[in-house]
Amino acid sequence: MIMVNTHTYATLIVGAGFSGLGAAIKLAQADIEDIVILERSDRVGGTWRDTSYPGASCDIPSLLYSFSFVKNPTWSRTYSPADEIRSHIEEMATRFDIRRRIRFGQEVTGLSFDGSAGVWTATTAVGRRFRARTVVLASGPLADSSFPKIRGIASYRGHKIHSARWDPDYDFAGKRVAVIGTGASAIQIIPELVKQARFVKVFQRTPGWVLPRWDIATPPAVQTVFTKAPAVQQLARQALFWGHEASATALVWNTPLTSLVARLGRLHLHWQVKDPWLRRQLTPDFTPGCKRMLVSSDYYPALQRDNCKLIYWPIATLSPVGIRTSDGIEHHLDCIVFATGYDVHLTGPPFPVTGLGGRLLNNEWAGGAKAYKSASVHGYPNLFFTTGPNSGPGHNSLLVYIEGQLDYLVRGITAILDNDLRYLDVRDDVQRRYNARIQQRLTKTTWMSGCSSWYLTREGFNAAMYPGFATQYLRQMRDFRFADYHAVARAAGVRVSSSA
Amino acid sequence: MSIEMEAMLVKIKDRQWALADIDWTAPGAETIDGEFRPKLKAFMADLCWIENIGARGFSALAKKAPDSTLAEIYRYFHAEEQRHANAELALMKRWGMLGDGEMPEPNVNIRMAMQWLDTYADGMSLSILGTVIPMLEVALDGALLKFLLDEVDDPVCHQVFEKINNDESRHLAVDFEVLNMIGHAKARRLAIDFVGSVASPGLIIGALMYLPLLNRVRNELDDMGMEPERLYNAVKRFKQLGDRGEHTWRVPTYQILKRHAAMVVNPRHPYHLLANSMVWLSDRYPRPLLRPVPSWFKELTHEPAA
Repeated sequence: MIMVNTHTYATLIVGAGFSGLGAAIKLAQADIEDIVILERSDRVGGTWRDTSYPGASCDIPSLLYSFSFVKNPTWSRTYSPADEIRSHIEEMATRFDIRRRIRFGQEVTGLSFDGSAGVWTATTAVGRRFRARTVVLASGPLADSSFPKIRGIASYRGHKIHSARWDPDYDFAGKRVAVIGTGASAIQIIPELVKQARFVKVFQRTPGWVLPRWDIATPPAVQTVFTKAPAVQQLARQALFWGHEASATALVWNTPLTSLVARLGRLHLHWQVKDPWLRRQLTPDFTPGCKRMLVSSDYYPALQRDNCKLIYWPIATLSPVGIRTSDGIEHHLDCIVFATGYDVHLTGPPFPVTGLGGRLLNNEWAGGAKAYKSASVHGYPNLFFTTGPNSGPGHNSLLVYIEGQLDYLVRGITAILDNDLRYLDVRDDVQRRYNARIQQRLTKTTWMSGCSSWYLTREGFNAAMYPGFATQYLRQMRDFRFADYHAVARAAGVRVSSSA
Repeated sequence: MSIEMEAMLVKIKDRQWALADIDWTAPGAETIDGEFRPKLKAFMADLCWIENIGARGFSALAKKAPDSTLAEIYRYFHAEEQRHANAELALMKRWGMLGDGEMPEPNVNIRMAMQWLDTYADGMSLSILGTVIPMLEVALDGALLKFLLDEVDDPVCHQVFEKINNDESRHLAVDFEVLNMIGHAKARRLAIDFVGSVASPGLIIGALMYLPLLNRVRNELDDMGMEPERLYNAVKRFKQLGDRGEHTWRVPTYQILKRHAAMVVNPRHPYHLLANSMVWLSDRYPRPLLRPVPSWFKELTHEPAA
């Protein structure tokens, strides 16, 4: 039975992770109080709520991997562990009194816009409907995961764990364990698993660039200073921000500095791995930055422990007892950990989004997602994306970029509500010009230098990354141009702004 | 002759097999007779090390591949050569040629070849590696393995080599397609590449390793009673497969190897005076000068499960 909530909210937010909660805080600060947040789980936290594998932590310093408007002076380490980030998000929801706005257990299964009424309707998996004049899609880029389609996976009889959906009850002590994948999650999991398991076999397809990570405990004195003088913490955050900004000149564009990063990576490898053959197998063959940079000081040492082995042979198939590799050997295993990443929805959210005239977002994005400033999409008025198309950073904190998106959507939503608009739809020509420029700029970036990564669609289209400095991105997000949109008034359906 | 590399990669993935697919305890091991056994042991040891060296060659090729599909194919070929070596070790184990924990000792020419591979292979051009590897594969596929099947009656050996031969036929199809592709390059590019490679110390040292290694194996086969025609036919096949490609003839390394192979298979050619002297000399090479065995050499195993 479908239950319709007859109230039409000012704003409906999909997701109660960092972005969704951030949006609610910022909207409330702009006096937009009539908000509802739909969250599929029973807790806030988004990806960080679900990330609970051993060793999980952020790989951008916590001072920068947080919102500037939600200060936390007591981060325990440079790179805080996942449970601390989870607590921070929980505390953020409490501190800003967001929880009362959240409807838990409401997984959105569809979003549809009624152009004549200027109202979005969200349907949820439990059969409820929510109406709102504006929508913030904050479902996150890394919210979903599934086991990869590896040959024979259904035949495997042992235990399977996905890194993004950890099984906290499984006891690794004395177990024969495989980890498939050597990306950002794997390099955090492996050093922890080798401490418990009988042996760990690491199945690698492509080695990544690994830079050392200086992860130190924050001295209590520093925490005290940050608590008593928030300006000092802000200063530290700024220093980190500009340090990361500088790294764009090596990681976003292929420059002589990119070669320097490669040298650093090789030096790190040389320093940590003495066996020349193992070193060769761990040496990446793509431009640094093309795939996500990895930071770890304990991954290489873990690989060289007596109970750990790097397997670089291709996986031929999974069998009932383990993994068969192409060198003809069957690896008998008790548990396989799939550190194979997330289901990144490069062609739109995993549910139908129906815009003006019944148009479907997944259809329009099938050839590659396109938006205006990563936030608005022509034909889908009053809908604002966080972590939308071409908003990913390769060198700086995602949270910094999200803050830019929050500022933008607050301006957009304020414009709709203050002007009592039926809808505000970004102009097609503006969106086209913007994307032409973005794609042209992307051609010069490391992401397009020939490696295959989750940033690209199967056809090689990059709808994930923003080709520039965070400063540039933030500047464009601060600049909300009303003239870039068709604005239609609610009452008489008259156009408020002219179209091109 | 043109093959679609994407389709080939799919086929390769579809045709994977494992040591666990074979019943290593099935009857037939007793068919190896006493007199033949030591010769077969020496030959099998060399064969499996040569497969292992081939594997290392493919690993170097994977880094040279012009596109990701070919790189992935070479990644599989690297593993498949290793699989062949593992299967050959398992046959030796089955025939009682290896004690518990025993591994066959690589001869001095193998040790030198491996040393060379570790030092220079990753720096060799696609045209050099892409020609030497098919040459070795044709020799293995066309002569050694067929000879072995004629001499050995063990049905498990036949089962293993049928699988190996099927893999090798895919390797050859790709090898010669790539050779043809290399030959498609502009003459100037081929010349620069060739002169640049030949003038390199890596290739000169490589040739000094390659000549005695090849002759040592040839002599072993001779000792086991293999007719020279088999090797002659193998080299003829190398030429036939190469000449089938429209552009392969333009690759200078191909022309040189073709001529060199013709000398190797002719037992009366004066070339053997030189090559056998090199074998003799290498036997006297001071062992302490050899570098430690690289760790990739220790990956070999006759155990189907790990």
